[in-house]
Amino acid sequence: MTSPDIHALGGAYALDAVDDLERAAFDRHLAECEACTLEVAEYRETATRLAEGSWSVPPRRMREQVLARAAATAQLPPSGHRRGLPSPVARWRRLAAAASVVGVLGIGAAATTYAVQEQRLDDQRTTVALAQERADRIQAVLAAPDAALHGGELAGGGRVTVVVSDTEDAGVVVLADAPAPGPDRAYQLWLVPDDSVAPVSAGVLPAGQVQATQLIEGVRGRAAFAVSLEPAGGSPVPSTTPLVGISL
Amino acid sequence: MTDPDLGPRRPEAAPAVVRPERVEIDDLLRAVARGDDSAFARLYDLLAPRVFGLARRVMRDPAQAEEMAQEVLVEVWRTASRFDSQRGSGLSWVLTIAHRRTVDRVRSEQASADRMQKVAAASVHVPYDEVADQVGTRLERQQVRHCLDGLTELQRQAITLAYYGGHTYREVATLLDAALPTVKTRMRDGLIRLRDCLSVEVTS
Repeated sequence: MTSPDIHALGGAYALDAVDDLERAAFDRHLAECEACTLEVAEYRETATRLAEGSWSVPPRRMREQVLARAAATAQLPPSGHRRGLPSPVARWRRLAAAASVVGVLGIGAAATTYAVQEQRLDDQRTTVALAQERADRIQAVLAAPDAALHGGELAGGGRVTVVVSDTEDAGVVVLADAPAPGPDRAYQLWLVPDDSVAPVSAGVLPAGQVQATQLIEGVRGRAAFAVSLEPAGGSPVPSTTPLVGISL
Repeated sequence: MTDPDLGPRRPEAAPAVVRPERVEIDDLLRAVARGDDSAFARLYDLLAPRVFGLARRVMRDPAQAEEMAQEVLVEVWRTASRFDSQRGSGLSWVLTIAHRRTVDRVRSEQASADRMQKVAAASVHVPYDEVADQVGTRLERQQVRHCLDGLTELQRQAITLAYYGGHTYREVATLLDAALPTVKTRMRDGLIRLRDCLSVEVTS
């Protein structure tokens, strides 16, 4: 997934001006490029100087609340001695370890924060394990050596990006900036075995949802990926013309 | 960190001007990593206005910014052992967490169209909060402003729309009606110019 111009993304990356998949791609680029790692660390350091102009005193009550929450929060143990810049693996792990305070899970690939936020709407307790598992899967796909990046524009607006890995037999779909699907309508994801066989549902977004980071399983041997607009809850087979079709 | 750093403070070699507050933040983070809650209380006082200010600037809603700042600060407590001074300053480590989380939250909660409408507001000068100010912070601001003024218009807009507005470079390209590769490049060379102007260094 390393493209020749990915190096140019360093500035945008340091400013957090990339999407989740680009972030993951760039993280992998950094893994192969020690010089870039230092360069980006300098951009980051520079970018954070911009925050100095935004000093603002928080409400007084916040101090007590933060100290109380900290007192009730277990700390991560030291991760062992490190010298210099971390290895890519360490960086992934560290990102993974930076879990959110609610203890659900972390910002592995930032992709997973979306996953968590969706999950939080459900009963938190029961979804913790599932969310963690899903986040791990998403990370595994993004980090797979054979991960391949595809993208396309939806008819009617919006962008879809798909990362698929044959070795993981799974993919990560990011839908962004899509228009509202209308009442009781939902975006549904499809995998297409080949031209002669009907598409297989790869998941339905909650009704009305216009952006998502979705894990799809069973991508191996699939010829294409598609998105269509369906009644809420999804359809067994596509009932409308696909908004986008992407060859895998 | 399991290093000998746990002992007395290392002699501060190098940069001619060391900002004492930054050094203090690094030391406090190391103490917090050992579970020192009074160090965390002191760290809170140094970091809270910065983290809250950044979240507020990007999110615009004080209540949301407060929740975000709380989350980030507790996260700092939780993950302090992961701070590695070899990779950059503690302040930068904290603000990187704060910025990334804030931006992620904004993007997941707001439809893009919605954010686009806020651009007018985001791209004009935002008045600084009239709050307890410190001489050091004021000087820092002046320096940052001075260095931002040294950028080309496109560099400056690309960087501030991304950093303060939380926009992706794609959105920035749309907003500025510029080509994607141009925006990527301007972000990068703008940061390089800022880095040199601010004398930012990361020792590895």
